[in-house]
This record gives sequence, C-alpha cells and structure tokens, in this order.
Amino acid sequence: MELFRYSTSIYGGSDLLIGASWDLLPWFVAAGAAFIVLHALVKAVGSRRADQSH
Amino acid sequence: MSVSQANVSAAASAPGRIRRHLLVDRVYHWLMAACVLTLMATAFLPIIGYKFEWLGLHWTIGVVLSALVAIHIVRAVVWQDFWAMVFDGVDIRNGWRRIAGVLGGGRAPAPGKPGKYNGLQKLYHAGIAVLVLAIVASGLLMLLKIDTPLWRRNPYVLADYQWGWIYVVHGFAAMALVTMVMIHIYFALRPDEWRLTRSMFRGWITRREYEEHHDKQRWAADET
Repeated sequence: MELFRYSTSIYGGSDLLIGASWDLLPWFVAAGAAFIVLHALVKAVGSRRADQSH
Repeated sequence: MSVSQANVSAAASAPGRIRRHLLVDRVYHWLMAACVLTLMATAFLPIIGYKFEWLGLHWTIGVVLSALVAIHIVRAVVWQDFWAMVFDGVDIRNGWRRIAGVLGGGRAPAPGKPGKYNGLQKLYHAGIAVLVLAIVASGLLMLLKIDTPLWRRNPYVLADYQWGWIYVVHGFAAMALVTMVMIHIYFALRPDEWRLTRSMFRGWITRREYEEHHDKQRWAADET
C-alpha cells in the first residue's frame, strides 16, 4: 500500500510527490469504527459488572 | 470572574439549570460542524466515485471555516476561560487513577470529578485543533493554486516538492479528521453523554447533572 501519490515530472527525472494516498481513507474510517466498537464493548462489559456487583 | 463562572452565575437564576454554552458558542459549534461536514463531502465524495464540480464549494467553505477558526481563537483567548480546555496535572492524576482502578479491580483511589471538561475531552479538543489548524494553514496556501474572483493563481511561490508536502499535510489531516468526527458523533449519540449533547442544543445542564458530574472547585457555581 502506498502512503503517497506521485506523478511523473514533465521534465523527466524522479516522480513528483503530489499528496497523500487516498487508498488510506478506508483505514482511517476503519480506525474510527474500531474505536467505537471497542469503546462500546468496554462500556457494556463495565456496566454489566457494576450491575452484578450491586 | 471567568466566563465559566459567569455562565454558571447567570444560570443560577434559572432554578435547576446550569448554563454550559452561551448562544454564540453553540452557533459557532454548529456552523463549524456544517463547514467540516461540507468540506469532507466535497473532498471525499469525488474520490469514492460521486463526481461533481466540488472545487468552488470546497474552497469557499474552507475560507469560511478559516474565518470561524480565527474568531474562535480570539474569543477563546480573550473572552472565554482558556484554561478550562487545557489538559493539566489534575487531569493526569484523575486519568491515572481511573486506569489504576480498572487494572487494580477498584482498589485505587477514586478519580476526582472534572471541571467543565474532562481530560479526554481536552485531549480530543487538542487533537482536533492540531488537525484543523494544519488543514486551514495548508488549505490557505493551496488557494494560491486556483483562480478566484478575489485573486489570480500564483503557484510559483513554492517549488513543486514543497507543494507536494503541503498536499500531503492537507490530505493526511483531512483523513484523520474523518476518524475524529466519527468518534465525536459516537460520543454525542451515547445516552450517558446525552446531557452534553443537549447542552450544545439548548445551552444548559441540570443542577443535578452538574453536581453529579463536575467538580464545583474546578467549574465554580455561584450558589445564590
């Protein structure tokens, strides 16, 4: 997976950096979803334990 | 008297309610939310396949967001209680006690209550501030690459590789902002955080919520 986007320079030579790779966008969305699921699970387990201890 | 104290003092006249956000701050929040969501839509919808003329709307809303951020910075420094949003030693101690309580099965001392904002809210705000400032700064520079009714493009002020890094900063910060916005909306929708979401619509929390969730010493109420 590429981190950056490149284009070929019209003057030849090495590729030109033109920005971040948009292939990474699903990973950022997945990171948000993973945080949400993990937090919701931790809170659910915590509240269940609290209910049982009471 | 700080703005936080003044807010609480003003609300003390309304029985059972503590003012949390002034109208101007709520309007700012929702304007910023509308700008960020519009910018994310105009940036990412074309990338995932919904093609439309996105650039005009994107840079126009970007300029509006930049102005809003500038106003917010001045307001936060001059009129609001700036330090209420700064992560401090008490937040570190409370965070550590919370972690120790979870790992130690509840044997650690109980964490204290937060002031107006808890430690994680402050860290989240710091993260959002870094991302938005990076997006605004790189976006304002990128305006030099397009013609608008107000100025002509002049991309020659920077070298190609410098423009590349500016686009990298803009792109990575924008994608990270997607993650942060998802988390923000999740917390806003959680029932146990609903008092905070309601306060961003209506401006207040109840006195019971204030006493249950906040440290009076750190977010002082005027008991009149």
